[in-house]
Amino acid sequence: MERTVTIVPKDGLHARPAARFVTTANEFDAEISVATAESDPVNARSMISVTTLDARQGETVRLVAEGDDAEVALDALEAVLTTPEGES
Amino acid sequence: MSVELTGTGVTPRVGFGNVIWHRGVTDLPPLPDPKTVDTDEEIARFEAACERGHDELADERDQTRDRLGEDEAEIFDAHRAFLDDPEITGSVEVAIENGLPAPHAVRQAFEDPIARLAGLEGQMAERADDLRDVRDRLLRILTDRERTDLGDLPDGAVLLAERLGPSDTAQLDPEAVAGFATVFGGRTSHAAIFARSLGIPAVVGVGDELGQVGDGRPVLVDGTDGLVVIDPDESARNRVGDEETEIIPNHVTTTDGTEIEVAGNVGTLAELDTANEQGADGIGLFRTEFLFLDRDAPPDEDEQYDAYVEALSAFPNDRVIIRTLDIGGDKQIPYLDAPEEGNPFLGTRGIRRSLGSDADLFETQLCALLRAGSEGNLAVMFPLVSHVEELDAALSLVEDVAEDLIEDGIEHKIPEIGVMIETPGSVFVAESLASRVDFCSIGTNDLTQYVMAADRENEHVADLHDPLHPPVLRAIRRTIEVSHEGGAWVGMCGEMAGDPELTELLVGLGLDELSMSAVTVPKVKSTLETIDAEDARERAERLLRSETRTEVRRLLSEGTDE
Repeated sequence: MERTVTIVPKDGLHARPAARFVTTANEFDAEISVATAESDPVNARSMISVTTLDARQGETVRLVAEGDDAEVALDALEAVLTTPEGES
Repeated sequence: MSVELTGTGVTPRVGFGNVIWHRGVTDLPPLPDPKTVDTDEEIARFEAACERGHDELADERDQTRDRLGEDEAEIFDAHRAFLDDPEITGSVEVAIENGLPAPHAVRQAFEDPIARLAGLEGQMAERADDLRDVRDRLLRILTDRERTDLGDLPDGAVLLAERLGPSDTAQLDPEAVAGFATVFGGRTSHAAIFARSLGIPAVVGVGDELGQVGDGRPVLVDGTDGLVVIDPDESARNRVGDEETEIIPNHVTTTDGTEIEVAGNVGTLAELDTANEQGADGIGLFRTEFLFLDRDAPPDEDEQYDAYVEALSAFPNDRVIIRTLDIGGDKQIPYLDAPEEGNPFLGTRGIRRSLGSDADLFETQLCALLRAGSEGNLAVMFPLVSHVEELDAALSLVEDVAEDLIEDGIEHKIPEIGVMIETPGSVFVAESLASRVDFCSIGTNDLTQYVMAADRENEHVADLHDPLHPPVLRAIRRTIEVSHEGGAWVGMCGEMAGDPELTELLVGLGLDELSMSAVTVPKVKSTLETIDAEDARERAERLLRSETRTEVRRLLSEGTDE
């Protein structure tokens, strides 16, 4: 199961949104990866990998999830990526 | 000659003070033989360290939220995510299985990720600082090192560090620190953001040259021009913010002519000059602990004598109050065997050690002090006295030492003698103590800790550790009243004495002397010159009737509106 999402927070997938993203990914059993247009998919549970993607505001990322709760996990992660700063 | 170093200024403010270095924790003990490393045990150690790291981060998050808001607090969520990162935990486990002990495994596992983040551009590179912060936290926990207590820096300190991470700045008391400068970091580093949020003068990214600035050196941190000025001259110091007041070299009086002595607290010989330059009327607290630190054996009598004479010659016309060795509690000296104590703040501290396990040291120190007594206007005071017999014992030792010096024909003079009032016990017998000595000096930091039963080091009770709580104010008032009746003059040498917002209250309570970090001397002096002592007494009377700190604060702020 996969989904393509455009990043809304102005800081991109940075410190705080990245932390929210990783913390959310850890709440589910599904194996989840995230990739930008230029990068290979990385483990969505790894703060280091997610940060190193250097995904900016307006960039599109591809989420891939496998597991029983894959769909809810993708919904939750999409919500993180489309919530502007300060409104979470 | 002053020296200027350049970096990135991050706050349009200028600060001045004495250097305190905050050093990192990446130096580890040498590697043991891999065969002696118990893999399971090391993994368990690592897991326990992660757990403790999580607990600390949760606490610091709360603290930061209270101080700077939710936005800044969220940085700690990033730290928690780094702490749980499968990439890190995976490589740590592999490294331990290859025979590394947990701390070395942690250091190695973070190397590559830190390098990767640091290699990214702009803001991303700053996130490497977060990763370093997480690594250093784990290393500190694993090597069982005490956290440097950045929350308890002396007033007016300028903090220097390679980097300051969120966990460091969360502890910093913005009221106490005069500024900071770092070797690394840019405008968006956590340290820079923190400095701007709280208006602390700061310069980041100064580079390796910052390392040449030693502890205790006077420096100016100019956040406007991005300068760190070592040994600044007077014209450079005039750049210190608009709020900086003119230095008043003479003794000052209140509007009705009551003279209050405004003295400096010093913890190193270098600070004597600063105190002089800031116009201090002598020294109200000369901490002798620094003479005993960073060495393998205590200084002998002659070395101590030289240091005391140096302090006296820095203030030839003023009194210099030297406090005898005050160790124990949170201050330990490695070569002096200290017992393991479950509750060191209630253990063998201050005068208790001087009359007990450190009796020899105490005698040597008294010899040096009595000899120095003939070289200037010296006063000596004893720390942490809690009942009369302790003072009697110390006083009779002074007499013994004087007799020995007479026998040996050595020039000396018994100085003015005082007692510190910093325990509830000493407050309740202050009249008896005062009748035996020339002066009392109220140490508000410890007095607050002991009256409120709130550990100075414990952030969870930080709110209790405030001298504006009525129990502390009433202890101070009692001390002053009964000490005066006992014929002693009374000073104050805790942080409270250097707060210009409280100067009127302290005058109203009847203090004869206030001693503080040198940097606050000018402001307190100029404040004193605007105070009418009689008005201050009436206002203090009213304020002392307050039953709650809230009411105390309300009355204090009413005063400033009038």
